[in-house]
Order: sequence, then C-alpha cells, then structure tokens
Amino acid sequence: MGLKEVVVNGPKVSFEIFGLKVTETVVLSWVVMAVIIGLVLFMTHNMSKTNPSKKQIVAEWIVQTVNGMVKDSMGARNLHYAPYMATIFSFSIFGSLISVLGLRPVTGDFSTTLAWALITFVMIQYAKIKNDGIVGYITGFAKPIALLTPINVISELATPVSMSIRHFGNVASGIVITQLLYYALTSLSTALGLSFPVFTLGIPAVLSVYFDLFTGFMQAFIFTMLTMAYVGSAYPEE
Amino acid sequence: MPEFLSFLSIDYGTIILVLINTFILFMVIKHFLFGRVNKILEERQADVKNTYEEADKSMAHARELETNYNELLASAKDESAEIVKNATKKAQVRSDEIISNARTEASNLISRANDDIAHEKQRAMSEMKNEISSIAMMMAEKIIQKEINRKDHEALINDFIENVGDDVWQQK
Repeated sequence: MGLKEVVVNGPKVSFEIFGLKVTETVVLSWVVMAVIIGLVLFMTHNMSKTNPSKKQIVAEWIVQTVNGMVKDSMGARNLHYAPYMATIFSFSIFGSLISVLGLRPVTGDFSTTLAWALITFVMIQYAKIKNDGIVGYITGFAKPIALLTPINVISELATPVSMSIRHFGNVASGIVITQLLYYALTSLSTALGLSFPVFTLGIPAVLSVYFDLFTGFMQAFIFTMLTMAYVGSAYPEE
Repeated sequence: MPEFLSFLSIDYGTIILVLINTFILFMVIKHFLFGRVNKILEERQADVKNTYEEADKSMAHARELETNYNELLASAKDESAEIVKNATKKAQVRSDEIISNARTEASNLISRANDDIAHEKQRAMSEMKNEISSIAMMMAEKIIQKEINRKDHEALINDFIENVGDDVWQQK
C-alpha cells in the first residue's frame, strides 16, 4: 500500500457536450454560484425598511462595505462597478474555499483566473477609450516618448497575465503542497507499518488554514483590489 | 479512466463557461443583492431626510406660534393696563363730579336756607311792625276814648282785658 508517485492533475473533465469539455472547474463553479445565489436570496428575502433582521443587516453591511471600497478607490461616479467587484470577490473566495471540503478549488484552474483577468483587462481598455477617445487611447501608448511604446504595450498586456497567474499560482501551489503532504504523511504511515494513514487526519488541517482560508481570502481580496485600482486609474482624477 | 486537463492549461471552453457563469452571478448580485439593498438604504435615507425636514418644519411652526402668543400676550397686557388706567381716570372724573355736585348742592341749600331765614325775618319784622302799629292805634284809641269818656274808664279797662286773647287781636 502507499502511493508510488505524486501525480498533480489539472481539472478533471466531467462530461462533454457538443464537443465542449465541461471540466470539474465549471461544475464546481455552478455549485459555488448556487451557494452564493442562495445566500443572496436568503439574505435579501423579506427585507424591511424599519425593522431589519440579522440577515438583512449582514446584507446591508456587505453592500455598504463594497460601495465604500469602490467609492474610495474608484470615486463615487464609478459606484456602478460595485456589484461586479462583489461578484468577483465572492466568486473567488467561495471558489477557493471549497477546497476545505476536499474539492478542487475553482480558482486553482488557470482558465478561471485568466477569464476574470480578461474581464479586468477589457474594463481597463474600455475605460481608457471612453475617457481619452480612440485616438487619445492609441497615442497614449507613445507617452511620455514614442520610444516607450513597446514597453507600454507589454505592460498593458502584462496586467491580466500577472493578475491571473498570481491568483492561480497561489491557489494551485496550495493544491500541490497538500498533495505532497498527503503523499509524505501516507508514506510515513506506511514506513511505520501502519495499515491506516493516521498522520493524514490532523496535520493537513493546520496547513489548510493557511492555504485554503488565508490564501483564498487574500487572493480574492488582492484580485478585487487590483481590478478596482486599475480600472479606477483609467479614469481621470476627479 | 477519467480524462484530466494538464495542470497549467488554457482551456477556451472553460474560459467561456466561466465568463458566462460570472456574468450570471453578476446579474444576480446586481439585481438581488445591490438592487434590493440599495433601494432599502435609499428609502431609509429618504425617510430620515423627510423626518428631519418634518421636524424642522414643526419646530419652525412652533416658534412662529410662540412669537404670536408672546405678541398677543404683550398686547393683552398693554390693553389691560390701558383699561385699568381708563377706568381709574373715569372713576376719578366721576368722583370729582359727584363731589363738586354735592358742594354746589350744599351751597345752594345753604344760600336757600339763608334766603328763607332772611325772608322769615323780614316777614316777622313786618308782622311785628303791623302788630305794634295796630296795638299803638288801639292804645291810642283807648286813651282817646278814656279822655272823652271818663265815666267809661271802668268799662274801657274791662273791655281791654276782655279783648286780650280774642280772635280779633291775634288775627290782626
């Protein structure tokens, strides 16, 4: 008994429909969505103006906190970005936290974080074009001098790449380390001649607090804050 | 044997499905979380604003009423003082009038009494004069009769004594 080698796979393909491979990531993201939508509907059900329930107070706190953060980092006129920021934050944090249940985190798939980073990228470019005009947008790359144009373009393209790889890398490294740890602890149990891998019971939970809870929260927060900062800075100062 | 994608892979199908999922979740959060909660918050804010406005309005109204009442009160005080003053003045005038009337009447009465007294005195004097003259005449008559008729002297005295206290005497 015991593992012969450590295999760290990408997401499993759950099923195929019209040649489209639907992976574990997508299926689990539906689960995450269902949980978030359920929570949202639960919290905002039967809201009262004068006598808010505890769940309503939580909902109001969430909305006001996100509104406040968006207002602080993007200005009051960009308040309409707040629901998207809440979406990406909740999706990211719940997508990472399902690893606590032993499921593969949604954010541990590069395709997921890349998709989100692409949304951020499109938002940045849209805001720049909207504020500078198409000509101003293009000539903006040649500032302050034309020589810097390639570097400016690369830096613009690097934004979504760095954002997506940062998020993916942090979560995925957690998957790898957890797998390695399981392998090591199982091997240790085998080496001691134990038929049941006792060490895998408590020790991974300690590391899980860091890799699942802390990293999941931090990366969701960083990704959301960066999106707000980048898109916000595409708007001229108020 | 389940199929796995490679650990670091870019799968376009996954990207598209994640984008769709994110969009759906965004719509739900926008509508059901932010839409509903923002509406409640705005309504509450409007309520608070209305309440404050109404309170301000009531306060202003109360202040207005207070000034009105104070004005009324002050004017009522003035008016009552005026009334008292007037009444005092009137009473003073009236009492002066009464006193002066009484004085005139009294002086009238006194002068009339004086007149009466003078009148009576005069009448008494004239009566007395008449009486005295008639007595003198009678005495003269008696005297003359006595001298004329000495023999009748006894009768004259008797007659005189008899006539004293008679109606003839007293009437004249």
